[in-house]
Amino acid sequence: MADIYIYSDKPDVAAEITGFVKREKKKAILLAESKEAADVLKKLGADAVLLISGDGRRINDYAEAIAGLTKAKGGLLLAVGSTVAGRELGASVAGRLGCAMISDVRAARFEGDVLCAEKMTFGGAVIHAEKMSGFGVISVPAGVFEKADPAECGVEEVPLPADARISLIKTQPVVKQGVDLSKAQKIVSIGLGVNKEEDIQIARDLAEVLGAEIGCSRSIAEDRKWLPDYIGMTGVTVKPQLYFAMGLSGQIQHVFGIRDSKLIVAVDTNDKAPIFRAADYGIVGDLYEVVPMLTEAIKKL
Amino acid sequence: MAKIVACYKWVIDETDIRVKDDLSIDVSRAQRKLSDYDRNTIEAAVRAAKEAGAQAVGLTFGTDKIKPSLKEALSRGLTEVYWVASDKAESADGKITANILAAAIRTIKDVSVVLCTDGSSDSFARQTAPRIAAILGWPVVTGVRQLEIAGDAATVTQARENSWETLRAPLPAVFAVLPEINPAPIPGLMAIVSAAKKPNTELKAEDLGASFETNVRTAGAKGYAMDRKNIMFTEGAMADRVRELALALRKEGVL
Repeated sequence: MADIYIYSDKPDVAAEITGFVKREKKKAILLAESKEAADVLKKLGADAVLLISGDGRRINDYAEAIAGLTKAKGGLLLAVGSTVAGRELGASVAGRLGCAMISDVRAARFEGDVLCAEKMTFGGAVIHAEKMSGFGVISVPAGVFEKADPAECGVEEVPLPADARISLIKTQPVVKQGVDLSKAQKIVSIGLGVNKEEDIQIARDLAEVLGAEIGCSRSIAEDRKWLPDYIGMTGVTVKPQLYFAMGLSGQIQHVFGIRDSKLIVAVDTNDKAPIFRAADYGIVGDLYEVVPMLTEAIKKL
Repeated sequence: MAKIVACYKWVIDETDIRVKDDLSIDVSRAQRKLSDYDRNTIEAAVRAAKEAGAQAVGLTFGTDKIKPSLKEALSRGLTEVYWVASDKAESADGKITANILAAAIRTIKDVSVVLCTDGSSDSFARQTAPRIAAILGWPVVTGVRQLEIAGDAATVTQARENSWETLRAPLPAVFAVLPEINPAPIPGLMAIVSAAKKPNTELKAEDLGASFETNVRTAGAKGYAMDRKNIMFTEGAMADRVRELALALRKEGVL
């Protein structure tokens, strides 16, 4: 049975990749970077957990050793969860072994030993069907596969040499200032059409009658620094029942982050704004006029 | 003088992609542009070079359509651009691209830092920096939102999902930077004019000796059809349109 090595610093994603591997009747081997991680991973239904021991502080310190290990054991695939650490490891291993990597697969299955996977490009506008033969790497975002049925397996400790060149000076937890938008059921989101920071109140008033959270585009969070988190390809991905975009043009990177919303509503002055192509309902107009009017109209319903 | 290399990609402007009714893709009329966040990366290289007393240069790999990118990249403050053109670039995957870029970096003298954007606006595969580092045997950090070069090491802040990690890497090293690293100012007229006089160097793919072989192939591509109602309220006074929208939202059960 062909071995598939799995690494994710998110146990849920490790369980989802394990589910994929088991349904494909392959052997799932989870890589754990600590004893604590191994204790969680061994219950996810995989065939084995390899507990890496060594002097590394970051999983990528073991990239060369993991590349060597998967090659020596004749692995078929390395599947990493699509987080910063997972992607870094996946691409580092692919670079060392000189093999292909399919990033952020949206679907995957094996035809024999050939992996057939789907990935998206251009911010999700185009879907590619890829075929990878021989050893390769994939990265897998959360929620793509169903988890494996929980079952316990053994843990084997493997000492690996670590690359000590990068030193960790400090770790600073990111204090999430806002709510977790990825779990919000309703979101009112602002873009550059909102001229002044105090005008966010217009969005807050609508959000209050809707029972919605406030979100925004990248420029609002990163350039104007009005709100902590932004929605989009490099930011948070959301899937609310209602996504209300106001003064937000809807660049493809933003639309990528909202495409799984059940209902998208847009208000913008520019009738050619791409957000309208992604919207179920839209009004072309000045948000300063339309949104307060809508807030009142909803109150009266 | 040490060189800081900003890798950039000249990509199809995604807003010009046409998805036909049968979901096939038409890019025949698409314009090309500098991949969105590469503007920030080039600026990061220019700033880092200024602080470190180094030279910021550009490197790109693409088809012969990349030539207009040279002036754009140079107008953003780079002193020189190296470019590799090949008709095979259109179908190159992450492996081939990194092979070419790494081979090109080997030919550029005194490279201390390579900066890539964390992800390009076309494929957004986020592979290039770790792959280049693996090929060159240099350390790598991705997701970098702060970069400081001092002497023969760089201190960087990596934005992970729940933490920021401050890391120190000896140089030479490769970093994949996020757009948050710095803004990307629009080049002024003088910068655009002087860009035409700056040097650019073509590196021939065949001279680099990098492999164009890979073990993945694209079996098909189709447009993603977003299933949306696209109902626009355009009739009557604004108050009427707004009321219609409110009623529609109630009918959808989201109020």
